[in-house]
Amino acid sequence: MACRDIRETISAFVDGEASPAEAASVREHLAACERCRRLERQMRAAGEGVRQVRGRVPDRFREGVFARLDSEGVLPPRKKLLRGSWRRAIVPVAAAAGLGLFLLTSREGVRGPAPPGPVSARVETSAPSAPSPRGDAGALTAEDREMLALLDILEDPVAFEANDDAEGMELLAPGDSADSPTPLRGGRTGA
Amino acid sequence: MLLFRDGSREAFEELFARHHRAVVRFAWRMTGDASSAEEAAQEIFLRIARAAPTYRPTAKFTTWMYTVARRATLNYLRDAGGDGETVPILAEGEGEDGSYPVQLPGPDDRNPERMVWETQLTERFRAALGELPEGHRAAFVLNRGDGLSYGEVAQVLGISVQAVKTRIFRAREMLLSRLSKDVSA
Repeated sequence: MACRDIRETISAFVDGEASPAEAASVREHLAACERCRRLERQMRAAGEGVRQVRGRVPDRFREGVFARLDSEGVLPPRKKLLRGSWRRAIVPVAAAAGLGLFLLTSREGVRGPAPPGPVSARVETSAPSAPSPRGDAGALTAEDREMLALLDILEDPVAFEANDDAEGMELLAPGDSADSPTPLRGGRTGA
Repeated sequence: MLLFRDGSREAFEELFARHHRAVVRFAWRMTGDASSAEEAAQEIFLRIARAAPTYRPTAKFTTWMYTVARRATLNYLRDAGGDGETVPILAEGEGEDGSYPVQLPGPDDRNPERMVWETQLTERFRAALGELPEGHRAAFVLNRGDGLSYGEVAQVLGISVQAVKTRIFRAREMLLSRLSKDVSA
């Protein structure tokens, strides 16, 4: 094949875009043609050359782009919940979920056959040693006191994390209160 | 992109973080100078954001992104006063043996003298790239600069794969011819 006829295929070959038949043809030609071997090297170098033209990201490019996007109202507003640390937000959220589950399971326990009552016993012992700042603890039912104790945990993430152990996990297990004498949350209310 | 289309600002921020370097590089190679590249790249992201409501994942996101990027830079170049399509194809730099007298560095050529020379060559290369017709420059830049296959380049430019093959070959010819003239001048 004449050199002029195969140059375009050499270009595709250099880019890895020649078909197997074309590639075989190019290899055969290059093996016999010094000037096309030189051209092939120059074609490869031209490809390298375009990669060397890189530029760089301008200073404050991001700020410029987002300022334009915001000024045109193209972007939705940032969600405020996610602006701060989600790690801080997740503690009260998880505690609230735990509280909800606990209340559900404890109410079911009251409706069913009369349990031995370890929950109420534990609250009775904890209430005198830790009077609630929320009002007259003596006027509250055992269930109210339990809720207040849980609310105290919500306001004290460190204490909540300290209870995040195996016993704390049992808090969420349905049926636990009726059969097991194990305190639901170790230390916080029983000690 | 789908998350952004559904209203997530954070998804666009992630998209920007992933692709802004590639977009700036593309704009730099297409426009040839820093301030034009910055303006063009900003325009590209504006167009991407505006186009989100109509985005359909029928192709790779990057193919779609480069389609937007190419159109934005083409409009930018036209607004700036020229699209490069009138530049004649140079053939007179070709040597008697059919190759070109310029020696370009390959990926294995790395030493300090070579690197200095390469810096000068890169500047000449950038200038030569700017003289290519826009369609040829876009095809060559997308393939060799941004790593798109001929098929992907064809999608971005809306032409056939054979036309991409020809454009890239002609771009190489023109670049080598132009650089040869620099060397002999």
